[in-house]
Amino acid sequence: MQVQRSTNEAQKFLLLSIISVGFVIVLATLLGKEAAKTVTDFTYIPVTGMLVVLSIVISLRFRRSGNHGKAWLFFLGTTISWFIAETLWTVYELVYDVNPFPSLADIFFIIGYPLIFCFLMYYLKPVRKAASRNIVIGSILVSIAILIPSIYMTYNFDPKVSLFENILATSYPVADSIILIPALVGVFLFFKGEVNLTWSLICLGIILQSVGDTSFQFATFTNTYYTGHPSDIVFLWSYLLFSFGVYDHIKIFKKTKLPYNSKKGFETSLDL
Amino acid sequence: MDIDKKQIMKALVAFSVEKVLLVIGKPILDKVANRLYMEYQCYIPDCYEHPDYLNNVLRSIFGNSYFTIAEAIKLELNEHLEDKAVLKLINTIGS
Repeated sequence: MQVQRSTNEAQKFLLLSIISVGFVIVLATLLGKEAAKTVTDFTYIPVTGMLVVLSIVISLRFRRSGNHGKAWLFFLGTTISWFIAETLWTVYELVYDVNPFPSLADIFFIIGYPLIFCFLMYYLKPVRKAASRNIVIGSILVSIAILIPSIYMTYNFDPKVSLFENILATSYPVADSIILIPALVGVFLFFKGEVNLTWSLICLGIILQSVGDTSFQFATFTNTYYTGHPSDIVFLWSYLLFSFGVYDHIKIFKKTKLPYNSKKGFETSLDL
Repeated sequence: MDIDKKQIMKALVAFSVEKVLLVIGKPILDKVANRLYMEYQCYIPDCYEHPDYLNNVLRSIFGNSYFTIAEAIKLELNEHLEDKAVLKLINTIGS
């Protein structure tokens, strides 16, 4: 009962955060592109910073134990990498006043993808046998469907955009579609389970990353991107969904004061 | 003599369940054990006599994928199928 109430409160807070972030960026955009740039850059840092903090908490909770312990360490690596990337982006834009795409920030954005892929694979490893062929094929098809607009744009890009920028901008949606496959498989596998909300939020976060990256790719190819662009709202929402997913997991596997502790065990029910 | 054997089998079942859950992660074992205690006031060794409790807890945490955990537990206990309670446990968590 208490757990359900706490989950409902968290869901309300998630909705409020999503609305607030969207509202703040739209309001800043109405004040001009400079205001939008400053507000968006400064919103990224606490949002990704919070995700790093939550990832540290869950990693400490699992302490490298078992497959999930390793999985959460990879997730922590992802969040740190993306936090560095967002911070570098902000520094390039607000301190050096240069266009951050392409830049060193992209290296950290890209590094996050193999790490999150390892997170998903390690998390699913103990239950991988439950993934039927149909589930895997279905996930691949959904992933390919989401990738189609990006591939189409890659072959129809503005000639003013360099080949390197084209490849880099396209690599994000491609990486998103790869990580979306195990994320979708996870949603099917944990359906009806307690960890389902975490997986649904992480999967939705990856879908939003994919939408954001496709929109970023389109804006880059049409030279219409600016920081504070609607794609940034989508990216911020994806970070919020990741954060709430991790928060939900922390709540599920929180330390309890019940008599069982795997180090000490119960007093024992064996009459030895 | 029978009582001794029952105690040994309870310990073996507890060991197998703990081993499988520890491969996933220590907090998972804590979660399952605490849930068993919270909902049924029983401990992991008691799953030997009440396999339905373990079945319900695994289902509630892992959802559709719970049966892979059940399969791993079955694999651990495969050599002890001559024991009726172990056989019942395996049939219950696999249902």
